[in-house]
Amino acid sequence: MRQPYAICAQNIHKSYGKTKAVDGLSFVVKQAECFGLLGPNGAGKTTIMKMVYGKAERDARPEGVIDVLGFDPQYNPLNVRHILGVVPQEDNLDEELNVYQNLSLFAKFYGISGTAAKTAIGHLIEMMELSAHSKIRELSGGMKRRLTIARALLNDPKILILDEPTTGLDPQVRHMIWDKLRLMKKSGITMLLTTHYMEEAFQLCDNLIIMHKGQMVIEGQPRQLLQQSIEKYVLDIVNKDHAAEIGDCLNSPSIRADMSRETLHIYSDDIEALNEITTRLEPGDYFLRAANLEDLFIKATGRALDDAG
Amino acid sequence: MLANSSYPPLLSRIYSVWYRHMRVYSSNLWSNGLPPFLEPLIFLAGIGLGLGKYVPSFGSVPYVVFLGMGMPITTAMMTASFECTFGTFINIEFKKVYDGMLAAPISVNDLIIGEIMWAGTKGLFFASAVLVVAAPLGIIPLPGGLITPLIGFVTGVMFASLALVVTSYVKTISFYNFYFTGFLSPMFFLSGVVFPESELPGPLRYVAHVLPLTHPVRLSRALCLGQLRPELLFDVLYITLFTALAGYIALKRLRRRLID
Repeated sequence: MRQPYAICAQNIHKSYGKTKAVDGLSFVVKQAECFGLLGPNGAGKTTIMKMVYGKAERDARPEGVIDVLGFDPQYNPLNVRHILGVVPQEDNLDEELNVYQNLSLFAKFYGISGTAAKTAIGHLIEMMELSAHSKIRELSGGMKRRLTIARALLNDPKILILDEPTTGLDPQVRHMIWDKLRLMKKSGITMLLTTHYMEEAFQLCDNLIIMHKGQMVIEGQPRQLLQQSIEKYVLDIVNKDHAAEIGDCLNSPSIRADMSRETLHIYSDDIEALNEITTRLEPGDYFLRAANLEDLFIKATGRALDDAG
Repeated sequence: MLANSSYPPLLSRIYSVWYRHMRVYSSNLWSNGLPPFLEPLIFLAGIGLGLGKYVPSFGSVPYVVFLGMGMPITTAMMTASFECTFGTFINIEFKKVYDGMLAAPISVNDLIIGEIMWAGTKGLFFASAVLVVAAPLGIIPLPGGLITPLIGFVTGVMFASLALVVTSYVKTISFYNFYFTGFLSPMFFLSGVVFPESELPGPLRYVAHVLPLTHPVRLSRALCLGQLRPELLFDVLYITLFTALAGYIALKRLRRRLID
C-alpha cells in the first residue's frame, strides 16, 4: 500500500531540561518531494531530523506522533533506518579506511554483501565521481560530502535526510551537489533538507517551512511564498546617515522599512516608489534588488542573532 | 531493490560493529600489532633478569613464572580498558563514529555489545601475544597456559563493561586519569598479580576478593598449573555476575548519552 505521505509529524514537542527545542510542530512530507526545514541556528531543525530517524526521542505526550512510511522511529528505529539514508551535518567517515572500505562497511550495516554490495558501491563511486582507493585524509571537503551522500544511498533509500549538505563548500561543488540531489529526486527519493542557504532551498525544495524557536512561522512552496508573503523589491541603504533625508517617504502605506545594525532595508511592491527614493541618494550608498527567500526568512525570524539569547 | 525487506538480524548487526573496529584496528597493523609482543618481552626481561634474581621462587614455582601466569590477564585488562575509555570517548565525541552507525540500522545495544566483544577480542589477542613470547621461555607453563587467551577474552569483556560504565559518566577526557591511576594501578598490586593476595595484611586481603582483577588472575594461574579446585567456581561466578551487571548499567546509561 502506497501512502500519500512519506513523513507525517504532528504536535511534536522536545525539551532538553528546561529548554524547548521543538514546541508543538506539525508537518507532512509528501512522497518524492524535497521538503525544506529552514530557520536560524537553534530553531530545532537538527533535532527534528534526529527524531525522524530515531536518534532523538520526542517528549512523551499522547498527541505527539511521527510516522515514517508506516513506522514510528521512536519504537521501530531499525525499520526506519533500514529504508532511509542520513547525511549528517558533520562528516563521520572512518579516516583509517579508504573510500571503498567506508562504503563496504556501511553496506554491511545494511546487510548488503557479496556481489550486490560490489555492484552498488561501484555504481555510487561512479555516480559521485569518486575513486575507490583514495584515502579519506586526502579528500577535499566536497569529496567527503559526496562520499557521505553515497554512503547514505547504499540501501537504495526511500527517504534521504540531508542536514546542511553543502555548508562550507565552494559554489562549484555546491552546484554539483545540487545537480546530484535533483537526479535523486527525479528517481523518486523523498528528501528532508535543512540549509542556511536560501538559494539552496529555493533551488531544491518543493515545499518548506521556516522555523523559529521550535515553532513553525511560515509554510509553503518557495515560489508562492515569494509572491505572497514578501514584497517584490528591496532597497538596502547601507549608509544609515541618509535615513533622515528620506524619512518622510517611509510613511507611505506601500512601503515597509526595517533597520538592521548599519543598514536600512525598505521593502515595497512599487518599484517607482523605491526608484524615487534612490534619486535622493549617492550611487554607492544603496542597492535596489528583487526580494528573495532570505528577505522572507528575515521577515519571519527577525534580525536578532541566536547568540544574543 | 538492493536492501532486503527487513534489517539484518541481531548477530549480524553486532558482528558488523565488531568488524568495523577490527578493520580500523588492522589498518595500522605494524603500529597496532607489534607492541603487544614487544611489551611482555621488555617487561619479562626486566623482571626476569633483574628482580627475579632476588626472588628466586614463590611457593612451588619460580617468581618469574608466578608473574608470567598473571601477565596475559593484566595485559588483556589494560587493552580493554583503554579501548572502552579513551577509544570509546573519541568515537563518541570527536570522530562521531557512533552517529554514523546510529543513522544505519544499528541499535545502541548492538553498538555497545559489539564494542565490548571487540574489546574482548583485543584481550584475547594481547593475551595470546604474551603467551607466544613467554611460553617458549618457559615462563608460562604448557599445556595449561594455552587457556590464557580465553581468559584474556573474558577479562577483556569484563573490564570493557566496567570501562563503559565509567565512560557513561565522563564529560572530559582527562577524567580517565583518575580511573587509571586511582583504580586500575592500585588494583594491579592488590589482586595477586605481583604477589599472592594471601600475603596482604588483614583487611586488605578481603579487599582483594572484592576487586575484579583478582578472579581472572587466580583462574589463570590455577589453570596454567592444572590445579582444578572447586573454589574456582566462585571466581567464574564472580566474573559472570560482575560482567552482566556492569554491562547492563553501561547499556542503560550510554543509551541516554547516545540518544538525545
